[in-house]
Amino acid sequence: MNILSLLIFSPLLFGLLIVVLPTSLRNLFRYITLIATLVQLVLSVWLYIHFKTGAAFAGVNHEGQYQYIEKVHWIGLNLGNMGKMQIDYFVGVDGISILMLMMSSVVMVIAALSSWEINKNHKGYFALFLLLDMAVTGVFCSLDFFLFYIFYELMLLPLYFLIGIWGGVRREYAAIKFFLFTLFGSVFMLLVMLGLYFSVKDPATGYHTFNIIQMMNPANYDKDSIFSILSHQTLFGFPARTVGFVVLFIAFAIKVPVVPLHTWLPDAHVEAPTPVSIILAGVLLKIGGYGIIRICLGIFPEVAISGAFWLGLLGVISILYGALNALAQRDLKKLIAYSSVSHMGFVLLGIASQTAEGISGAMMQMVSHGFLSAMLFYLVGVIYNRVHNRDIYSFRGLGTLLPKYTVFVMIAFFASLGLPGFSAFIGEAFSLLGAFNSHVFNGFLPTWMAVCGSVGILLSAAYFLWTLQRMFFGEIHLKGGEIWKLALTDLGRREMIALLPLALLTLALGVMPSLAFDKINDSVLALIQFIHTK
Amino acid sequence: MSMLSSFLLISAGLFCIGIFIVLSKRNAIQILIGIELMINAAILNLVAFGKYDNLANSGQVFALFAIVLAAAAVAVALAIILNVYRQYKTIDPAKVERLKD
Amino acid sequence: METTLSHTDIITIQLAIAAVAAPFVVFLLNFFLVPKRSKVSGMLSGAAIGASLVLALLIFFRVWNQPALHVQQVWFTIGNTQIRLGIWLNNLSVLMLLLVSAIALPVHIYSIAYMKGDERYTRYFTYLSFFCFAMLALVVMDNLLLLYAFWELVGFASYLLIGFWFTREKAVQANKKAFIMNRIGDIALLTGIMLVYTHYHTFDLVTLFGAHPIKTTREVWVTIAGLCFLMGAIAKSAQFPLHTWLPDAMEGPTSVSALIHAATMVAAGIFLLGRVYPIFDSTVLTTIAVIGCFTAFMAATIALTQTDLKRILAYSTISQLGYMMMAMGIGAYSSALFHLATHAFFKCLLFLAAGVIIHEMQHLKHKHHLQIDTQDINNMGGLRKIMPVTFITCCVAALALIGFPLTAGCLSKDGILIQGFAWAEGKSWAYSIIPIGAVLTSLLTAFYIGRLMFKVFFGESRLEGISTDSEPEAHEENPLLYLPMILLALGSLFPLFSLDPLKFENAWIVKGFAGFAGKAESAGELIPLLISALSVGVVFIAYTVYVKQKLQWLKFKGVLFNISYNQWYIDSFYNGVIVKAMVGLSRAVAWFDTYVIDGVVKLVAGIGLVLSRVSAWIDKYLIDGFLNALTYFVKQTGNFIRGFQTGRVQGYLFTMLIIVLALYILKTFI
Repeated sequence: MNILSLLIFSPLLFGLLIVVLPTSLRNLFRYITLIATLVQLVLSVWLYIHFKTGAAFAGVNHEGQYQYIEKVHWIGLNLGNMGKMQIDYFVGVDGISILMLMMSSVVMVIAALSSWEINKNHKGYFALFLLLDMAVTGVFCSLDFFLFYIFYELMLLPLYFLIGIWGGVRREYAAIKFFLFTLFGSVFMLLVMLGLYFSVKDPATGYHTFNIIQMMNPANYDKDSIFSILSHQTLFGFPARTVGFVVLFIAFAIKVPVVPLHTWLPDAHVEAPTPVSIILAGVLLKIGGYGIIRICLGIFPEVAISGAFWLGLLGVISILYGALNALAQRDLKKLIAYSSVSHMGFVLLGIASQTAEGISGAMMQMVSHGFLSAMLFYLVGVIYNRVHNRDIYSFRGLGTLLPKYTVFVMIAFFASLGLPGFSAFIGEAFSLLGAFNSHVFNGFLPTWMAVCGSVGILLSAAYFLWTLQRMFFGEIHLKGGEIWKLALTDLGRREMIALLPLALLTLALGVMPSLAFDKINDSVLALIQFIHTK
Repeated sequence: MSMLSSFLLISAGLFCIGIFIVLSKRNAIQILIGIELMINAAILNLVAFGKYDNLANSGQVFALFAIVLAAAAVAVALAIILNVYRQYKTIDPAKVERLKD
Repeated sequence: METTLSHTDIITIQLAIAAVAAPFVVFLLNFFLVPKRSKVSGMLSGAAIGASLVLALLIFFRVWNQPALHVQQVWFTIGNTQIRLGIWLNNLSVLMLLLVSAIALPVHIYSIAYMKGDERYTRYFTYLSFFCFAMLALVVMDNLLLLYAFWELVGFASYLLIGFWFTREKAVQANKKAFIMNRIGDIALLTGIMLVYTHYHTFDLVTLFGAHPIKTTREVWVTIAGLCFLMGAIAKSAQFPLHTWLPDAMEGPTSVSALIHAATMVAAGIFLLGRVYPIFDSTVLTTIAVIGCFTAFMAATIALTQTDLKRILAYSTISQLGYMMMAMGIGAYSSALFHLATHAFFKCLLFLAAGVIIHEMQHLKHKHHLQIDTQDINNMGGLRKIMPVTFITCCVAALALIGFPLTAGCLSKDGILIQGFAWAEGKSWAYSIIPIGAVLTSLLTAFYIGRLMFKVFFGESRLEGISTDSEPEAHEENPLLYLPMILLALGSLFPLFSLDPLKFENAWIVKGFAGFAGKAESAGELIPLLISALSVGVVFIAYTVYVKQKLQWLKFKGVLFNISYNQWYIDSFYNGVIVKAMVGLSRAVAWFDTYVIDGVVKLVAGIGLVLSRVSAWIDKYLIDGFLNALTYFVKQTGNFIRGFQTGRVQGYLFTMLIIVLALYILKTFI
């Protein structure tokens, strides 16, 4: 059994187990889910440790260099004179995906630990949770566009229900907004996907194919097909390839999220229950970044090159805009949601620079943000669970009341704002460095972009420290008075078990970035080489 | 004007009178009279054309037939009118409009 | 590790690593293991820093004026680039190493007594050890990226320590302000680092600025990079315009102020300038000199009117740092570092003394149930009678600050002034503003420190009903408090720095940095003598005003006084304009997000809904309406035809007649 397939489908098996068990066994579902995520974690750690590095295993556009490949002929519908429809079940990892898998496994465990607080419809919740888990893992592994699309869409459904049923006050609004917004992007992606399908022929079998790696190779395109580089077709007056890139980019940009397509995020994050927020922020946003790297940069590199300025500009706007918005928020969860927008702006900036430092920095930032946002949302959840209030101005002086909690909050806040010693510093510094370098190296991004991006570091210090000062320091003054004082107990054992690994991981990555970089370096170099030979 | 034409003219006149009586009278018996008149007009026609018979006296025989039929018709009609009177207490055909939609 | 190192060199490097690591180990111990209020924490921290001091001494004697030592190894690889981490021990590194540990040790000893009884005693020493670790690491790091990393960590330690008493509103406002203002400098520093990396493809300080430094070209980016590094230093060393965090940072414990905000962390900015010195071109150097001189002058004028004891010292620090920066700018590299070293001693001492004074004032406050601000010098007076040791050591420090002969401060300040005049020689008249400004500042320094001394120690107590003659001897009987002060006082005198009290060039520090020395002096010893004489005169004036209470007209409360007292309104400007603007901007952006961007999304959703309603209307009234109309038509037709069934036989007959006639006519005639 291919280990990747095991990794992808094991949550589904556990989910089925939950579905068949009677509804009354509430506690058992929690543990089953925890075990499922732990199993996944063990598998991905195994994958990570045995992942081979070196130029021969770079992957990206060489199918043979991917690892743990499973390619099974799945759908082969004979369409008469249109040829044979070839859809394969094709999964594999390279340097870019392995890190994402690792990170999403860890985040899922934390989310499973956080799911203890769910108090209604446990069976449905945990079944949907595991379905989501499967979909997310599948997205990171799949190398066939159709399969990718299936998993991508499959993510939306459980999330809609998870937000809409177990969420906060405005949950239906948030769920529908999230669902429709994301769907809007992905339906157009479907069109481009089909366009690509009809443009590309698998050299081995001669049929059209959805294989992403083969879509990266311009030699596989039919002469007059719509997305061929040589044919210079136009769609609505624009070059077809540009349209394809833009449409795909919009689909992933909604997920990243890039300003101005980000407005679903504050609502979704705020209304979702804590574990769902953790998954949303920790994993889903990265799918957008991963999609941009794998699909947009991979399949339409020349458009990415010519549009690098705009991508970088969007990144800088996201950084500054997200940070300014975060500064103005009263709701702690909304503040963290906007800070996510800001931090993902660094990712986009790094990707746009198309230098080794930039893309590596962007990937590090994705991993780092995955851990840190999971930590941040977990911490918000701790307070919310106790007093059902997230307003910053309702609390003062929590440092005296909850010392252990404050320590973790300070770790999370300072790590997020880029204090050296933690992973976000490496991610942000190298994204900016890449953007800076780009001016000299490949002339894509002007230097002022990196400088503006670094102002984002200043703003993140501003809003995080202001929140620390408002909520945790000073004399104790709680809106709910004595009742809240009694309710606000310090971190329990389960919460510490969830938070401590995250803190240690971000510290480890900050002190030893080679843990991440060693795996991705070859792939990043291969990617850049691939992009620049277009 | 020939003899025949004058007979036909009279019979036509009788017929029209008969139609007029049928269409305009408010009494069923009077309508019957009108019908009789129409039949008699037809009989007169038959007798008038008796001159040109192929068979011997066929016109006259046909006329006798018609007279008998007329009598039978009147008998039946009177029976119907009697029943109608019993049912509707009137013999004004304008008042018997149960088949109206 | 390079294999060309000799055995002794390897030992030196290991000693350096140990010196940096010792406080870190204690940090971890104090954080995880030692209980909250245990005395062990203080002893551990003190022991660690003592060990660091010993090691620093050993290293110093091995490396000073010897060839520099540099080892590195690969930290991680990114793309094709290897990022290294390593240690660089040259004169500057070992001087700083020694200085930091030498100042930190007395402060640790002092803190053991000063923080006694505090709720979070252990946590204090945790933070203090962390700071020492970060600072020591900062001075030995060999590449820009790690320098930046520890630069930020030092700032973080400062944040933790300023806000140590985090239930105090002012303290937590202050530490937030400090961190954010330092971040502004950090951004600039990062930009500078990135610029350097982009052009030279290395972070390595030795390659860039070591024995064979890079030759900078006359390009714009060099100037910009230099300005960026300068900005970083400005933020960290509290120069104009990023100086307002330092007076607020006095909210932290006084021992922290002594160590971090007087002697070591704020000196990191000057240290940075020293490290990257070859990158500065003449434009940037002039800018450095101007900013330094201006800051020195400005801070001195503010210090003249402040009433909070620690604030006066804070502004004094800013002013002296301005001197150091100015010295860097005019090329007096060695004098700047010399002044850094001497300033560390006497300023630290002044702060420690301030701590003792404030403790005594608190003691008096409790004893006599007064409601006073214990840090206000207007509430003090005559304290020399009850705190003689403090008084004497303070005098030594004050004399060093003024630059009185026979103190170490005199030597370092002389160096700066003399070299200042030498630098301005031969240039246009505008350049002489700088040394003249320095001289003026020097006189102002004399005045404000004289004012402080006279108001605090001389005369009679300004507190109601208290006579200092009758008060018992103060707190200072604790040797842990006064021994460090005495040690620092001894360090403020000339013998520690030079066996020749008159010529600054003979100080061993100056000799150690001769390679960077500026021009030779010409007007020589005349200037410092003149200044010393003038300073004495100024001090006498201060004496007259504050002790003898004459010359009251000098204390005018006019516009200049207000400007000085309100710190040139800079802080009010920042709070009122910049902070409000940022908050306002963020609110505007949030409004924009909710109503404009999300408004577009909602508009799209709304359009969808409207379209769906329109479509429903069309469906109901148009399409369905058409069908309904059809049926209506059919129905009406039926109704019409029905009318023909009147039930009247005669009617039927009549109709039949008409139709037959009509047909007959049609057939026959048409």
